Parts: sequence; C-alpha cells; structure tokens
Amino acid sequence: MAIFPSVEWFQEVRQVYNSDKSLHSGGGGACDTTAGFRIGESRYLIEFAGLTCAQVRQSSDAELEESDFIIEMPMASWTAMVRDVQENGKASSHQTLNSLDLDLDEGIARSPVDDQYKQDLFYRYNQNFQDFFNASSRVETRFEKLS
Amino acid sequence: MSEKMTESMSEDEPTQGVPEPTYDWMGLTNQWGTRVKPGEHGLRLGDLNVGIYGEVPEYWDDQTRRPRGALPRAGIPPLPYSLRSKHEMWADCAADLYEEAIQRRWIPATEVPWDTLKELPEDVERAICQICTELSQCANTELEIITYWQDRMSYGYFEVKQYLATATFDCARHLEVMRKRALSNGGGLGIESRGRVNRMILESSGGWTEAVVYLYLLRGTYITRLLTGLLSFAHNDAETFIYSHMLEDHARHMTYGYDHLKYAATHHEGATDIMRTLLAIGEGHMANELKDGVVSSAMAIIFGGGIQGGRTYGMERYLLLVREFLEDYLSVCEWLGVDRRESLHPMLKSYLED
Repeated sequence: MAIFPSVEWFQEVRQVYNSDKSLHSGGGGACDTTAGFRIGESRYLIEFAGLTCAQVRQSSDAELEESDFIIEMPMASWTAMVRDVQENGKASSHQTLNSLDLDLDEGIARSPVDDQYKQDLFYRYNQNFQDFFNASSRVETRFEKLS
Repeated sequence: MSEKMTESMSEDEPTQGVPEPTYDWMGLTNQWGTRVKPGEHGLRLGDLNVGIYGEVPEYWDDQTRRPRGALPRAGIPPLPYSLRSKHEMWADCAADLYEEAIQRRWIPATEVPWDTLKELPEDVERAICQICTELSQCANTELEIITYWQDRMSYGYFEVKQYLATATFDCARHLEVMRKRALSNGGGLGIESRGRVNRMILESSGGWTEAVVYLYLLRGTYITRLLTGLLSFAHNDAETFIYSHMLEDHARHMTYGYDHLKYAATHHEGATDIMRTLLAIGEGHMANELKDGVVSSAMAIIFGGGIQGGRTYGMERYLLLVREFLEDYLSVCEWLGVDRRESLHPMLKSYLED
C-alpha cells in the first residue's frame, strides 16, 4: 500500500491517470507544464506533456523554484484533500484545488519567479491537476502520521 | 470517362482553347526549401517561425493581406488595417495559446453532464440564472470588442489574429453555455445588466491595448474570481464542468491580456503612463458596477445557500472575493510597472479596508 506523500504514491496515481481516458475531463487537450508540490517536508515535480502525466519525481527546493508554479498548503490540508478523494471517488466541492486556493488566505498556487504567465497556468490547467488527484481514489493509500 | 474526353486530355496536347500556362509564378518566393519538422508536441504554429518566416517586424507597413514571408504583389489595393505596430497587439504566447485553445475545446451540447442538474431552492436558482445572464453579457461584450479590433490588426502579426479568433469562439461558447444553464433547470434569464463596464469596454476607442486594459486587466481579473467562486460552490457535476471549463478558457484570455500589456509596457515608451490614466478612469466605472447590488446579492445567495445565508456568510464570502480580486489586480498592476496601490479609487480601496 503506497504511503501519501511518496514518489511511489504519485507513480501509482500517474499510472491510473494515464491508463484511463475517462478520468480526463479537462478538455482532453494538451497540457504542457511542470508543477512543483510542497507537501510537508517533501518536494515533488509533476510534469504534464500533451495528454499524459509524463513524469513524477522527488525534487529539491532549487528545482522546485524552476517549475512553472508551485502548489503548497499545510500538511493537514493535503491529507484532508486526499482522504476526501479516497472517500468520495473524487474531490467534493470544498476539497478541490480551486476551493482550497480560495479558502486559504494566501491561496495555494504561486509562481516561483513572480511570472504572471506561469502563475496563470494553474488556472489554465486546473482541471488536469484536479483529474490527476481524483485518480488517486483508485490508489490504496496509507497516510503518513502527522507530526 | 468517355473516349472523347480521354482523347482530349492527352498529356502532350494542351486542351483546345486554354492558353498554355507560363508558370511565371514558379520560383517567386522569398525563401524556398523550408522543411519544418514536427516536434514533441506535433507541428505547432510557433514552430513555423524559421528563417524569414519568423521575422516579426516592429512595424508592418504592408496594408494588404499578404501572408508574412510571401512575396508582395504590385497593385494590391490597401485595406484599412490601422494597428500596424507590434506593440499594439503582440504577446509572445499568442501562437501557443492558439494551439492550446483548439486542443482544449469543449462542446456544451454533449459534454456537459446536463442530466446531473437537480432542482434547487428557487432563490438559489434565481441567483444562478442572474449570474448566467450577467456572464453571458460579459462574454458578448468580449466577443464584440475583439472582433472590432481584430479587423484592424495587420496581417503581419497573424499569430495574434489567429489566437483572437479562438478567443471569440470561446466567448461564443460561454454565451451559449450560460444561456443553456439558465434555461435548463426550471429558471430562465434574469434582468439585463446595467452594463457600465461593458459600455466602457465597447467604447474604448484609443486602440486595442486600451480595450485590453479594461477588458482583461480590470474586468477580466474580477471575472476570474467570480468563476473560481462559482466553481467552488457548484451544485452538481454539470455546473462543475461548466465553470471549470469556462475558467480554463478565461485563464487563457487573461494570459494573452496580461502578456500583451507587459509587451506594450516594455516596448512602447509612455505605455505605462497611458495605462495609469486609463485605470484611474476605469476603476471608477468598476467601483460603480461593484456597488450595484445585483451581482453581489446573487453571488451572496449562491455562497450562502439561499437568501438567509446570503445575508450573512454569503455576503462575507462575496466581499472576500472582491478583496481577492483587488489584491490580484494590484499585484498584476505592480508586475506591469503601473503601481495602483496608493492611488486606487477610494470606493475600491474601501473593500480592502473593511
């Protein structure tokens, strides 16, 4: 059983996402971007290329700063979001990336280099990332204990 | 094929009565032997910018429809292209956005899961229908102002013209889907918007950049927040699909808008001063429109789950949305080099102080 967060967990989600086109509600069109994720002490890069999630890997802080945009929120919020997806098959309306971005004071997405063009990619490809996390409902998940 | 026809099409004999072609046009080219290969993402519009075909001049003095890179022909009457400088329309991302728009198209008629619409409390349904009415008018305004200026843009900057063609199609789709949502769940269209900002956008006659300041920087930034709010409070899968796809389309429009303003600000002396003046005027209209109670109360009802909740939590949530819009707006202005934080219209400033 994959632990959230871990590279193994993201790889399993990636496999589910790439193998079932019915999970792609984001228009079915190309999505070319690399997003950074800061989850607790862990850092990940998720690269979308065309119609698939091309790569998921652990990254350093420096690499994260070179991504198009970074999604960051408290560990408890990440866990609540993934648990919600597990329980409901997809994020319920107040646990979507969009809702969390609205609800948290500073939002959850930012461009590491103050580049408005890159910041906008979060909105342009929002549904692809939501679909990706919704795919995690099919991944048996164990949660890292919150410290 | 008849025998007679076959005979007349002999390869050696020219067809009777048809003059022998001279083929003078062959060899008339600025650059031959171009062989662009598809890249990782296919053969994209931006990939074609090689050799002379990739030379995008600062000023396009040709007033015909000559494709960029083609040889000019003498005697072609000029067309009324009044926007002929690159800084008047350019955004580096236009070619990529064009590709993205045609790949991420969606079909309201068949892709929205309309069967997931469920009866809502009447006050909520009325609020949604009112917002659909407002947003369909905004989409119509965007469509009209783009097509007005698109007609005046020089052919030399075809990437922008092509991208804007997709944006008008997006707007048509938004108009369509808002109308469909309003008419598909027991409600109907609400009251027409007073349209102060729509009129301001449509009457911006100083150039496309001026229209972009009003259409995207000022009002578009607000619409982004409206759409994220609606998405967050969607009542069913149909609404989730509609708002999320509208948001993605709209984000593409905003990307072009911001990128164009950045280009204008950094390539045209005095552009930031003009933007500052335009915004000082535009903020007043925007403030008046925000003060109008229709959208605010409708959004508050949606956020609050009804009139009762709309009076408390719903309105607080809406005011937060306006604050977030203003923070976004001020931060983009700062990024453009047009800091408005100190001189923001007092009525708008009051939303940040509350």
